[in-house]
Amino acid sequence: MTATATTLDPGALRRERWRLRVRGWRESGARFLHRRDGVIGLVIILAFAVLAIAPDLLVGPLQTVTTATGHKFEPPGATHPFGTDNLGRDMLNLTVHGTRISMVIGLLATVITVLVGAVLGIISGYVGGSLDAVIMRVTDFFLVLPTFVLALVLAPIILDIVGLDAAFFGIKATLFVIVIVIGATSWASTARIIRAQTLSVKERAFVDRARAIGAGGGHIMRRHILPNVVNLIVANTVLVFAGSVLTETTLSFVGLGDPFAPSWGQILNAAQTSGAPGLGIWWYYVPPATAIVLVVLAFTLMGSALDDVLNPRLRSRR
Amino acid sequence: MGSGYLLRKVSSAIVTIVFIVLFNFVLFRLMPGSPDRLLRNPHITEQTRAEYRARWGLDKPIPEQLVNYVVATAKGDLGLSVYFRNQPVVDVLANRILPTVVLFGAGEVVAIVLGIALGAYSGWRRGGPVDYVGNGISLILYSMPYFVIGMLLLLLFVTALHWFPPAGLQSLGVRYASIFDELIDYGRHFFLPVTTVAIGLIGQYSILMRSSIIETLGEDYITTARAKGLKSGRILRDHALPNAMLPAVTLVAINLGYVVAGAITVEVVFNWPGLGTLTVDALANRDYPVLQGIFLLLSIAVVVANLIADLVYGALDPRVRT
Repeated sequence: MTATATTLDPGALRRERWRLRVRGWRESGARFLHRRDGVIGLVIILAFAVLAIAPDLLVGPLQTVTTATGHKFEPPGATHPFGTDNLGRDMLNLTVHGTRISMVIGLLATVITVLVGAVLGIISGYVGGSLDAVIMRVTDFFLVLPTFVLALVLAPIILDIVGLDAAFFGIKATLFVIVIVIGATSWASTARIIRAQTLSVKERAFVDRARAIGAGGGHIMRRHILPNVVNLIVANTVLVFAGSVLTETTLSFVGLGDPFAPSWGQILNAAQTSGAPGLGIWWYYVPPATAIVLVVLAFTLMGSALDDVLNPRLRSRR
Repeated sequence: MGSGYLLRKVSSAIVTIVFIVLFNFVLFRLMPGSPDRLLRNPHITEQTRAEYRARWGLDKPIPEQLVNYVVATAKGDLGLSVYFRNQPVVDVLANRILPTVVLFGAGEVVAIVLGIALGAYSGWRRGGPVDYVGNGISLILYSMPYFVIGMLLLLLFVTALHWFPPAGLQSLGVRYASIFDELIDYGRHFFLPVTTVAIGLIGQYSILMRSSIIETLGEDYITTARAKGLKSGRILRDHALPNAMLPAVTLVAINLGYVVAGAITVEVVFNWPGLGTLTVDALANRDYPVLQGIFLLLSIAVVVANLIADLVYGALDPRVRT
């Protein structure tokens, strides 16, 4: 056995490893497809992904005050299936366009959250010692802090410093600030989860073996720890997405959004400030609210199903 | 309770509060309205600049500024509000605390009682009709922002059915015939916001309680209780519930930070004169001293709540006192 192993060429090893990995994915995929809640979540997410990718194809370009097609507060009818808002804009048009803005903000915020959380979690768990103590102290601080209030204080400060009209990579500063603020305030729980798993992976024999043949810390973290915590990261990412969409909605609702790039939260803010609930204009906020609930519910369902499929031994964690 | 455990938790909470105060100090220096940034205006004379710096204590070295800031904060001096005509921030906050505490205290109590009862029953009768429907509803509620719940309730019970008055703490311009009428009026204004908060929280508590009960039912001491021939109602009440309640204690405390976010939006929907509407007003008018005061107040409240939860948990569960 050992004799043949040493004569294997690196290419064959790589192919074998790849084959095993693909088989693992296929098995997880099959188990996931047996989870009805997860599949329902996935279908809803895919439907919204289509809306986010091609809103123009479905409802035409985003309507503004000048291109509004209806009158003020028209109830749902033949020409406007979801009614119109206080500026005469079609609610279906607004809600569909809100999908992209809400989902892109949610996605970017999730990427930042998971990236920061995973990197800090792995380093903290693997390196240990005083570095671990410092990182965990900071993590605890962010865990206990009411992050939403922090976000409320940080967002206007950053906005006023960079200026309202600044844009990064084509994204208006307002939206970018929301992304940064969500990321900066919600990475802590991800870091905790990843660190805990890193601590247990670190004690396994293959890490000692890698160290014995001279592998450095960076290499071990990338090639040995990361592949063993990636399942946790995937499940966590999906759940973080749900939280990011909710936070974005809430931040926009209290007036930190960009009126010219209406996310669902921004539409709800407009509905609130125009007094729609008191006037009985239910169609102003039922469409965006339904969209939010569906998306968050879908991500939550899919996230917990993925967590069960990918991390069966940790099931009791939640 | 072990004194080591107590000491560790209390010192950790104190360190966190120190961090929060330092953090606030740094934020104060970043603030766009901060005097130092205003002074970048090239038209300001050197003399005005020096006067301003002296007035705000910015001419002193940073460590001394820090000490002054910490001393002022400890004395309860959080500066002056910009929007509320130079009222001290502390006074502005003090006027708004009671409505928020009442609203969220009541909402939390209702949610804890109902959420735990629903979750415990669902977990106990796992797979039954109550579990099936309850779990589905809990998940949907869990996905709803508080203000969406509030807007829907407002539409249904105020605009459509006229069962409750629209918003605020009490009816304006009404002279009450008796104290009893006044209380009824308060109650009618109070009902929908509290219901909103409670509905927003029930989902989380019931989901947690359900999984906690299910986990507890798999423990050995439950098997022992069954083997002794105890009635199932008694096993649930005396053996499973007390142990399953432990995670709920932690969740209630951890949740406070998020509940605060909910507080802000629910108050906006119902125009409730608490810290939430104050936050949004301060935000819209960029009243940074007030925003900072709110941040300081709420952070410290959450840290203290977490400390209390840790201590309660320690008292209830000897296993964590290591």
